[in-house]
Amino acid sequence: MKIMVAVKQVAFLDDEFEIRDDGRDVGEDFFEKDLNEFDHFSVEQAMLIKEAAGGDAEVVIVIVGDEDADDALRTALAKGADRGIRVWDDALAEADGIAVAKVLAKLVEREKPDMVFTGAQSADFGSAVTGMALAGFLGWPHAAVVSNLDYASGARTATLRRELEGGLEEIMTIRCPAVLSIQLGINQPRYASLRGIKQAKQKPVDELSLDDLGLSAAEVAPASRVRRMYAPERGKAELITGSAAEQAARLAEIIKELRGM
Amino acid sequence: MFFEHDPQDVTRILFQNFPTWMAVRFYLIGAAACVVFAYGVWTNIRKYRRGVRSGAWSPFWPRVWQMVATVLTHRTIKRRAEAAGRSHSWIFYGFAALFVGTSIITLEHDILEPLTGLTFWYGWFYLAFSAVLDLAGVALIAGLIYMMYRRKLLALPRLDYTRPDRSPGDPDYDRSGYRREDWAFLWTLIAIAFTGFLLEASRLVWLQGDAVVWDYRWFSPVGTTTAYLMKALGLGPDGAAQLRLGLWWFHGMLALLFIALVPYTKVKHIFTAMGSLMARDTEAKRRMPTANVDGERIGYSVLTDFTDKYLLNLDACTKCGRCHEACPANASGYPLSPRDLVLSLRELANDTLSHAAMPKGPITVSGDGVNMIRSETLWSCRTCAACVEICPVGIEHLPMIVQMRRALIEDGDFDPMLQLTLKSLQKSGNALGESKRKRPRWTKNLDFEIKDARTQPVDVLWYVGDYASFDPRSQKVTIAFAKILHAAGIDFGILYEDEQTAGNDVRRVGEEGLFQALAAANIELLNSCEFSSMVTTDPHTYNTIRNEYPEFGGNYLIEHASAMLERLIREGRIPTPVNLNYRVTYHDPCHLGRINDGAEPPRQVLRRLGVDLVELRRIRENSFCCGAGGGRIWLADPPAMKKPAELRAAEAAEIAGLDVLVVNCPKCLNMMEDGVKGSGNEGKFRVMELIELVQEAMGLIGDTTSDDGDNVLREAGAPA
Repeated sequence: MKIMVAVKQVAFLDDEFEIRDDGRDVGEDFFEKDLNEFDHFSVEQAMLIKEAAGGDAEVVIVIVGDEDADDALRTALAKGADRGIRVWDDALAEADGIAVAKVLAKLVEREKPDMVFTGAQSADFGSAVTGMALAGFLGWPHAAVVSNLDYASGARTATLRRELEGGLEEIMTIRCPAVLSIQLGINQPRYASLRGIKQAKQKPVDELSLDDLGLSAAEVAPASRVRRMYAPERGKAELITGSAAEQAARLAEIIKELRGM
Repeated sequence: MFFEHDPQDVTRILFQNFPTWMAVRFYLIGAAACVVFAYGVWTNIRKYRRGVRSGAWSPFWPRVWQMVATVLTHRTIKRRAEAAGRSHSWIFYGFAALFVGTSIITLEHDILEPLTGLTFWYGWFYLAFSAVLDLAGVALIAGLIYMMYRRKLLALPRLDYTRPDRSPGDPDYDRSGYRREDWAFLWTLIAIAFTGFLLEASRLVWLQGDAVVWDYRWFSPVGTTTAYLMKALGLGPDGAAQLRLGLWWFHGMLALLFIALVPYTKVKHIFTAMGSLMARDTEAKRRMPTANVDGERIGYSVLTDFTDKYLLNLDACTKCGRCHEACPANASGYPLSPRDLVLSLRELANDTLSHAAMPKGPITVSGDGVNMIRSETLWSCRTCAACVEICPVGIEHLPMIVQMRRALIEDGDFDPMLQLTLKSLQKSGNALGESKRKRPRWTKNLDFEIKDARTQPVDVLWYVGDYASFDPRSQKVTIAFAKILHAAGIDFGILYEDEQTAGNDVRRVGEEGLFQALAAANIELLNSCEFSSMVTTDPHTYNTIRNEYPEFGGNYLIEHASAMLERLIREGRIPTPVNLNYRVTYHDPCHLGRINDGAEPPRQVLRRLGVDLVELRRIRENSFCCGAGGGRIWLADPPAMKKPAELRAAEAAEIAGLDVLVVNCPKCLNMMEDGVKGSGNEGKFRVMELIELVQEAMGLIGDTTSDDGDNVLREAGAPA
């Protein structure tokens, strides 16, 4: 029995930042990196299943990223996962969710897990596409934004609940293996102490390249490309004070100003 | 006096008129009592040795002398309980004299005389001995009567062992067994003392015709007075002989029973308290034990993780309740009493480690079972060290709590709110979830540039700290301190974005791995800078850098801001301040007043400011924690609970005409402002930092930086 959890290292913006010279991203200095918030929940869900099975399940954390991403990978490993796999190639530098899903699909073929979890989305880009694209490539059953899961290690089906628009919820039974993207709040993620993170350095991590997975750079070319990133212009607000007459006069002034009268 | 008798005859004949079988029987019973005593001592020692070896008793002799001095002066027992301390000293000295007296008789009668023929227990020595022991008996009885009065009539809340954190019906709720044991102890001891006097008196009545006895009767004043009383009641020599024999056996058996029971009852504190005082670590309140973060496990999760010293600590507790009374968590209704924590662990140790065989499985300490320590109990602690500071027998509750917290952190058994804080600390080195870049942003409100200590040498390196850097209210104080240093012409600098929290609270919350990582990073940075001394406004930072960093290779001269201000004023480097016309009171931060002996400098500063200082009820080393320490500032207090800061604010509000409650710590400032509001005292008096008063007295208020903290952030470019 094996559960694969795909995680991502995301960037957090400082509230004062500058756009990179090429105008396509924020300067590297202005963000801090960390394990994606949603992935704390997907890793925890895998750990709960492993623990319920009396430890008789392997949890493999996979991540697509450069050496920097090791921190996020180790944080996930520190929560009790058994081993990790990190895939990197410079050709992945601009990878979007679809490209990452292609890489993950190769990893699934290689690892043959009984269940795959991803976070419902990433906290930085929020495309929410990787998990579902992965299921698409694999032709596996899938469910997105899972907020409750009833699945025992090695079971042939899983029963889950997911949130829909308008406050609706859907309960479904899904055939396994499947790809599930996990929503925040499904559980209470455990804390990875710094000591645990340090000790997770001793856990086995496979570092793979695209070659190892039989993928070419062309195959992982992003389907989308960021053209420009910019801070939208700020709106204006003004507190109008004074007597009713004064306030009305000021209001009229503003309307005229805006309409160019 | 001896002119009429041979001094050799002036003595007490032991076993006088005893048939041999009776004396033999006594010796057999005495030997049995000693065996029972020795067995009990051995099982206790075996229990302690089942903990981890600490080596806490070396160097042996210096520790012995220190302990002896503490015991003889009763220094620790008298603190905050003068009458109890005095009575205890009567009991102690009375008991000790009687015990030594009896031992002297044994020494002569059973050892020296049979071996060498040497005798000395006669004549003047004997008479002085009689008088001293009579006095000792009186002291013992007087002390015991006071203790009875204290329990029965004073009925002090601190001597009520009922647990506020358990409900009726819980097996460890009322612990009436402890009360019964207390009374049994008092009654047994007082019965031994009284029967001793009655025995003495009946002997005098019996031997009133014997001049070598009767002529020297007034050397036993209490016995003699009692003898006259007996005679007045019609007791004659024959009856007295009968009575004497009965009393002899009763007194002797009771005394032997007492000795046999020492290791099995609270009487053992005679030895355990001494052992505990010997092992006392004077740094226990300042420096938490360093753990190997690379080890397989960390912290105390099972009883056998405790060191032998801590296991002995558990047995040393006399339930005096001083820690129970001093604890801010207990006072505010949180499920923690340091005394109950110690007693629970003691019971757990007695249940599991006292038997010949160890229990099969691990002896888990944290949990909801009987005599286990609940996690909410451990999370209630503010690490203010009031318990460690007041404990008369040297119990170190605080490091035990921190060790148990380490195991909880590893198991994830804590408030989810704390997880956000710890993740923020891991990510950006501060507890407030802010980015590293934001740390020095408060400096933008100054009209001068603060030196960057990372790149240029400075005389004084100012370690700003988390709250002082980020908390809007504290930023005002931080800015004020910068202006004061600038005005005083101090060559100072800060570490800007690279400063991370020093880690005092991280360590006390139990995240030792993170603490050590922070300490290593900070020390590496500090060691790369050029400066001659350090200063900080935060007592928590001060404590950790001063007391905990040396172990990790960071040896710096650090001053708390209040000590530096006192020095600068004294040296005339701060222009003689104008007098402030306020009535103020001063709240000692735990980490300064109690933990680092820093109670005096801030008071000196206040004196120089000319304010009218009215002291609070609990001051200096007896200060009452604001409730922020030990990571509690990161956790919400349940709305139903009283906050320690509210109790403290109410204490300040008792001072008539109070203008300002002066605090001296960013965390106290934060907590006390809330406490004043929460206790309904808003508008009655202000909460101000000492630094702010100095600023006001120096006339530094009114330029660019007199605005409020919100502006600090807004001007610094936070998004609208």
